[in-house]
Amino acid sequence: MTDADRNHAKTTEPALARRQFLRTAGLTGASVALSSGSAEATQKPEPAKDKPKDPDAGAGDIPMRSFGKTDVKVSAIGVGGHHIGEFTAVEDATRLVHEAIDAGITFFDNCWEYFNGRTENWMGGALKGKRNKVFLMTKVCTHGRGADLAMNMLEESLRRLQTDHLDLWQVHGVTFDNDPELAYAKGGVLEALDKAKKQGKTRFVGFTGHKDPAIHLDMIKRGYPFDAVQMPLNILDGSFRSFEKLVLPELNKRGIAALGMKSMNGTAAAIKKGLIKAEDMLRYAMSLPVATTICGMDSLQILRQNLRVARGFKPLTDDQMKDLRDRHAKAAGDGSYELYKMSLRYDNPEARLPHGFPLDSTQREVKEMFKEAGGP
Amino acid sequence: MSDQSQPSKPHGPDRRGFLQGAGLVGVGAALSESLLQAAEKPLAPELSNVGPDKIPRKPFGRTKEQVSCIGIGGFSLASAPSLKEAIAIAHEAIDAGVNFFDNAWEYHAGKSEDWMGQALKGKRVKVFLMTKVCTHGRDKKVAMQQLEESLKRLQTDHLDLWQIHEVVYENDPDLHFAKGGVVEALDEAKKAGKVRYVGFTGHKHPAIHLKMLAHDYPFDAVQMPLNAFDASYRSFAKDVLPEVNKRGMAGLGMKSLGGNGQPITKGVVTVEEALRYAMSLPVATTISGIDSLAVLRQNLAIARGFTPMTAKEMETLAKRCAAGAGDGHLELYKSTMKYDGDLGREQHGFQSHKELPL
Repeated sequence: MTDADRNHAKTTEPALARRQFLRTAGLTGASVALSSGSAEATQKPEPAKDKPKDPDAGAGDIPMRSFGKTDVKVSAIGVGGHHIGEFTAVEDATRLVHEAIDAGITFFDNCWEYFNGRTENWMGGALKGKRNKVFLMTKVCTHGRGADLAMNMLEESLRRLQTDHLDLWQVHGVTFDNDPELAYAKGGVLEALDKAKKQGKTRFVGFTGHKDPAIHLDMIKRGYPFDAVQMPLNILDGSFRSFEKLVLPELNKRGIAALGMKSMNGTAAAIKKGLIKAEDMLRYAMSLPVATTICGMDSLQILRQNLRVARGFKPLTDDQMKDLRDRHAKAAGDGSYELYKMSLRYDNPEARLPHGFPLDSTQREVKEMFKEAGGP
Repeated sequence: MSDQSQPSKPHGPDRRGFLQGAGLVGVGAALSESLLQAAEKPLAPELSNVGPDKIPRKPFGRTKEQVSCIGIGGFSLASAPSLKEAIAIAHEAIDAGVNFFDNAWEYHAGKSEDWMGQALKGKRVKVFLMTKVCTHGRDKKVAMQQLEESLKRLQTDHLDLWQIHEVVYENDPDLHFAKGGVVEALDEAKKAGKVRYVGFTGHKHPAIHLKMLAHDYPFDAVQMPLNAFDASYRSFAKDVLPEVNKRGMAGLGMKSLGGNGQPITKGVVTVEEALRYAMSLPVATTISGIDSLAVLRQNLAIARGFTPMTAKEMETLAKRCAAGAGDGHLELYKSTMKYDGDLGREQHGFQSHKELPL
């Protein structure tokens, strides 16, 4: 461990400590005024020289929120790892990561299997010298297989991410009905989570999934002390097989950090159809009692659009949220805007393979799976 | 009209208890001594009309009605190449001893009911005739109009069973039980003597069926997908069927071959295994999609002289199917939107199938 990393591993980052006076937004759903005073301004990182002046940049900092019941704070918006791999050039991916960090984003998501390692490789490069500025998460992709494989994946992730520890390591894609049973089995992936924590290779552990609140509840209620749980949270989820209604309260009751994803339904279909505004979708997701909302951002333009919402973010009121939910409840009712719940097309082929489920060789993700890893 | 005042007990508590206890999920739970004994017995209710050349019959819930263990699906009947063949299928089925006939107001835009009406001319008394009402959230008035149309097309003055079709959206129970909703039409139709029994159907999620049942309305029948794959994926057999039997309602199975026959063509199970499994569950009948005389004869051969599998045999088969069942790709009516009908989608304000990003 470097000194900076060791320090980081034991306490919250010094760079963040100053922000701890900020009250956590969202945990009550009430509107909380966020400080953007001058004391903050003097300690802000120097803006990048080439950063364009944006009149709609949004005022204030990106709010920092409690990571579950811990003392750790994370930025209310996070950078999704998968979209990093959508860039064609590593330089563009690096620029996005740097601009996000400069803007005050600390939460960075990734996953062992994204683009066969390219996104971890690229993020590792982009975080060189900046590791202590971020809360770094990646995911382990055993999909029912055992702890030994998980530990191998962990070593690979650490090497690619050029760090000696993660802040959060999550079981990726808990999707199938028997996934909880497999994770909890003797020699299963949960034993790897324990081991990695004990070895200081990760500070926190959790799991992710997009399929069914019942499967998340099964994972939680079997009793493992997860620090974080990730799930799709958005306006339409609010009224269809709802993680918001069924899972989120359970997490907050247990002091587990809730991590939102798919704030725009994964495909942004509702936005493209003109049904809901992108800004409303992001605002709604960020207003839920979550630690962070992980956003896929495949261009600086999208990053800046999201930053406009996140800077000085004030959560919507309960009434405003209810209004958005109710207005779109009808469209939500068949799940056609939440295909990760209502279609098999979102089921990750990397997970289907070890489960013995058939693969669709015409699917982009399947083709991607058999490609060589890219990146530096 | 039959006398409903003396309910019989078609499914004893011992069988039911076993079904819940063993779960049929194929997780390999250790069986206790008494369960092992029960495992040798079938789960299916008492059969009547038994014999090597006969299609056995089973009790229709707690009523005195007996229905054939296999039923003729109305949608597939009108998918037959011609009216002539559809009539031939219906007649051969009746002659073989099948009496349960299924239909729906919306199947093939009325053709299914038309054809069945023609096929049943002079044979109405030989069958237990069911059709479904397709309000999809609309009111009682629409339901009663559909009933009149169904009766006219089916050329009869009454149905044996009238069911609310395709309860598949989470707000469907609320819409159906709303004041002035379709459930009031069920009452009215019964009172008017136009239907003897009422029920509902759906293929989507056990939770939605349970929401319907939670209203404590006295449905006589509940229809659901039941097959060897359902046993380990969002299972109606595990979650809904015991509840239906507890209430003395008739459980009606459908999609015994997974809805599209994929499990058969992929070689996961044989037609005989799949159909025997479905018919061995504690249901009144298994409605089978039959669109040719060849398929009819194949299924009749399985149903003739049918003896239910033992619980142990069923568990073995369910276990074998469990691995492939877990993602729902063998039950697309649950795992995707592909089986949700356009009329229902339209009434709910959802985009049509053509527009769906399937």
